[in-house]
Amino acid sequence: MPEKTDIPIDALVVYRRTQAHPDLRSFSWPTRRVDVSRTNLVHAEREGDTLYLVYSVSAGKDHFHLRLDTRLGRWTLEEIEIGN
Amino acid sequence: MSRLIVHLDMDSYFASVEQQAQPSLRGRPIGVTGRPTERSIITAFSREAKRYGFHAGTPVWEAQKRCPNLVLVPGHPERYIDTTKLFLEILKEYTAQLEVYSIDEVFMDVTQEAERRGGAVAMAREIQRRFGEALGPCITATLGIASGKVFAKLIGKRFKPNGVGVLRDEDLPELLRRTPVGDICGIGPRIEKRLGQLGIRTLRDLGETPELLLRREFGVYGLFLRSVGQGYDPTPLVPYTDVPPPKSVGHSKSLPPELRDMPVALLVLHDLCEQVAGRMRKLGYVGRTVHCGFRAGSIGPHAAKQITLAVPSDDGDVIYEACQAILAAIPSHPSEVSNVAVSVGNLVERDRLPDLLFEEDRRRDRLNGAVDRIRTRYGSQAIRRGSSLLVKPLAPHVGGFLPETWEF
Repeated sequence: MPEKTDIPIDALVVYRRTQAHPDLRSFSWPTRRVDVSRTNLVHAEREGDTLYLVYSVSAGKDHFHLRLDTRLGRWTLEEIEIGN
Repeated sequence: MSRLIVHLDMDSYFASVEQQAQPSLRGRPIGVTGRPTERSIITAFSREAKRYGFHAGTPVWEAQKRCPNLVLVPGHPERYIDTTKLFLEILKEYTAQLEVYSIDEVFMDVTQEAERRGGAVAMAREIQRRFGEALGPCITATLGIASGKVFAKLIGKRFKPNGVGVLRDEDLPELLRRTPVGDICGIGPRIEKRLGQLGIRTLRDLGETPELLLRREFGVYGLFLRSVGQGYDPTPLVPYTDVPPPKSVGHSKSLPPELRDMPVALLVLHDLCEQVAGRMRKLGYVGRTVHCGFRAGSIGPHAAKQITLAVPSDDGDVIYEACQAILAAIPSHPSEVSNVAVSVGNLVERDRLPDLLFEEDRRRDRLNGAVDRIRTRYGSQAIRRGSSLLVKPLAPHVGGFLPETWEF
């Protein structure tokens, strides 16, 4: 079952000129570092004039949902699903 | 040279996007719904769930009864709209003759382009491959290729999922002989029934029916039906660059049981009027005809009327006042309402009207402008009518619509 969270995270991303959104490579918070093995889907959500990019990524069998506030440049981990 | 039309239909679209975003849902029967309560309906099923014979619109209680391990997933319209934008960008590389038929269906006229891409089938396969790379393995599309839109859609449906169907000229007579009229897009159950009463069951029957008879029964539409029956589809493709201006702007809402009292339904209606007015202002239109309706009880009849305003408006309060006048003119009001709807038609571009004459109207106009600016900057819920706070937020709409402020 996915677990909802609201953890501010540090993210390592690569900006490519051919891609509409930055490529998320890894992210971390004080107790864990996650290397992204696959980006499943990225979609945009807008609240007022703030654009958010929502990432669905996997690291091995674990899945994560993260949100990038593009106005403030802040990343938040929103959902964790630990695979078996 | 006959046309070469490709119909592209995404497979189990909303469910596939959810499975792409959430790997734990892959391979499982899932149903996408607005609000996962027993009274809701399911908008889209995954391929695994479709094996149970489900179709969009099945109530949650029925789906759960027939498939106890069905996973209900709340819909994410932004995900679907964004994915559609992504695949349309790919398709635009193939032709500018692209008609966006719905959020997950597209028609393309590739008559000019197919040859230099190795033929229509090779082009279709290439599109599928690029979709796999750009969208992910779960999000697939089926493509149908024929000389007209109706036949491209028909043939594609037979090759789902993730297939490519081609209707060749030599296969057309057999297809006409075997295809029931109800399989054609544009022939619904009522027309199918009327055709059945005339003894018309297959497309070939339709093509052999005298033109006069079809014209008498169905008017000009009868000519279209006969053409299709003869294997010719004259429907033009409307490229995305030529999308006509809207004829009306409207909203409707199905109400959960706790919001079905008439006074509460009126609060929802007022909110809908505000939303309609906001969209009209965003599009730059004012409207003269207000149409309002409601459904009595959970399966009662739909009552609706319309009214014409003296002066075209884009003000939510003016639209709501018109709705109240409409409701007052409907003789009996039920105690329970399950659906409310409002739309404004007879639209005129706002720039074509003279400036507002009275200070009170100008003040309202400035107020609406200020509200729009606040919502644009801080979000649609940043400023709301006080009365709307009495109603809990309704489930988001998960249907197959595209925003009209669509940008390519």
